Amino acid sequence: MNQKYQIHPVLKVIFTFSLVILLSFSHNFAFVMTILVYTLFSLSLMKGNQILAILKISLWVSLFTFIILLPSNKYSSVMITVKVFTTVTTINMLPHSTKWSSITGAFKFFNIPDIFILVLDIAIKYIVMLGNHALQLIWALKLRSIGKNRDKYQSLSGIAGNLFIKSVEMSKEMYSAMECRGFNGKYITLEKKRLSMVDLLYMLIHIGIVILFFYIGKIVE
Amino acid sequence: MIEINDVSYSYLGIRALSHISIKIEAGEAVAIMGPNGSGKSTLLKLINGLIFPDTGCYRFQGQEITENQLQDPIFAKKFHQKIGFVFQNSDTQLFCADVYDEIAFGPRQMGLSESEIGKRVNDLLELMQLDAFHHRSPYHLSGGEKRKVAIACVLSMNPEVLVLDEPINELDPRTQRWLVDFLIRLNKSGKTLITSTHNLELVPEISTRSILFDENHGILADMQTQKMLLNTDLLIKANLVDEYYHIHDGEDHVHFHDHIF
Ligand SMILES: Nc1ncnc2c1ncn2[C@@H]1O[C@H](COP(=O)(O)OP(=O)(O)OP(=O)(O)O)[C@@H](O)[C@H]1O
Ligand SMILES: [Mg+2]
Repeated sequence: MNQKYQIHPVLKVIFTFSLVILLSFSHNFAFVMTILVYTLFSLSLMKGNQILAILKISLWVSLFTFIILLPSNKYSSVMITVKVFTTVTTINMLPHSTKWSSITGAFKFFNIPDIFILVLDIAIKYIVMLGNHALQLIWALKLRSIGKNRDKYQSLSGIAGNLFIKSVEMSKEMYSAMECRGFNGKYITLEKKRLSMVDLLYMLIHIGIVILFFYIGKIVE
Repeated sequence: MIEINDVSYSYLGIRALSHISIKIEAGEAVAIMGPNGSGKSTLLKLINGLIFPDTGCYRFQGQEITENQLQDPIFAKKFHQKIGFVFQNSDTQLFCADVYDEIAFGPRQMGLSESEIGKRVNDLLELMQLDAFHHRSPYHLSGGEKRKVAIACVLSMNPEVLVLDEPINELDPRTQRWLVDFLIRLNKSGKTLITSTHNLELVPEISTRSILFDENHGILADMQTQKMLLNTDLLIKANLVDEYYHIHDGEDHVHFHDHIF
């Protein structure tokens, strides 16, 4: 259990997003590489199976990006691939290290309206569910169409349509299920928690990153 | 406790319930049966305040349940706490990151303290033999495990009425047995049980009374389960058996034939 080193969810949410934003704005390779190293370091503090789960996704996504970008300029394709890898890893680390209920609680802390949290909440829950559903449909398609088959692509568009109808119904039903269990559209604010030494250290590192971003930006100009 | 009076309901022009009247007392064990599309799930949604009658009225513990009434958050919380709903499709019912959070969701909405919630969740995990699943993601459980978690989620709110939509489908025989025994125990401990099912073998165990729907979304019969099982004509009318159904020596031993060829 790495429960002991839990970082305050509010800090976690702020700095994860600030990191992603800085990363997407940065044109500086040194800055991007620094963040990459930092991300890999924080990743190495997690549990083995979590590291594997996170890396699996980030590596696939980056590989995909790299292949798509390959025909373009070599420098920018490496840069973008590294950015994508780091962004996906950083975002993916958030739910692995912080409970989802604490994340919605952190949003609530910033006075984000419940309706926005709800949309985000359902969207995220449901991407996972839809992913599973799509996988099942694709398997069903594979089983029914053996060998090479031109109709496959047509069926794939059928899958997309089916998925859309299904998704509307599922999200409605999911909201009903939440209602049945006493949810009324209001998220609960986090229980108050004091900042620990680890939290302070975390904050310092991330403020350092923000300063670095602007400092490096100046040098380049 | 539950009073449904001449209720009709349509989904955007598609008839689903037609002039339904039912009264259910606290502590009863009732089965809802009928052909596919006859309106069983719709009735259960209505009982849980997810949809509202087009005409007629639904009362729960003497209080009429309307859309307006459920807009009141305090009333809605109380109402949903008293009545728990296990959906036909467990997938949409499970939406948290892990099994623990899933079961804790209801009690958290009720505003219980984290330590009390922890106790409830752990008790339920043990009771339902789900100890090993604590930190597993609900999406990656098997169908039967998902069903168990869905039931635990509802029980964690300690409802007075438990409504289950085809809970025994898709379960292997041993899990079916376990669930049926579990439901019997819940009913004995005083919980009102309303279950929709197509399973004639298990229905006498989980209910003393059966409500049969017909294809026109009305009520065909409302009688003791044991009596219903002896009334072959009625069962054929409700698509619950085919003409090959028979009972040996009047005992409640029922068996089914495969008519594949
Ligand atoms: N969301 C919906 N939108 C439109 N029509 C619906 C919807 N849900 C159900 N229906 C229709 O309402 C009628 C009753 O459906 P319901 O789901 O209550 O049947 P059921 O008795 O539970 O059937 P099953 O045994 O297959 O679960 C059906 O004709 C169905 O097509
Ligand atoms: Mg149904």
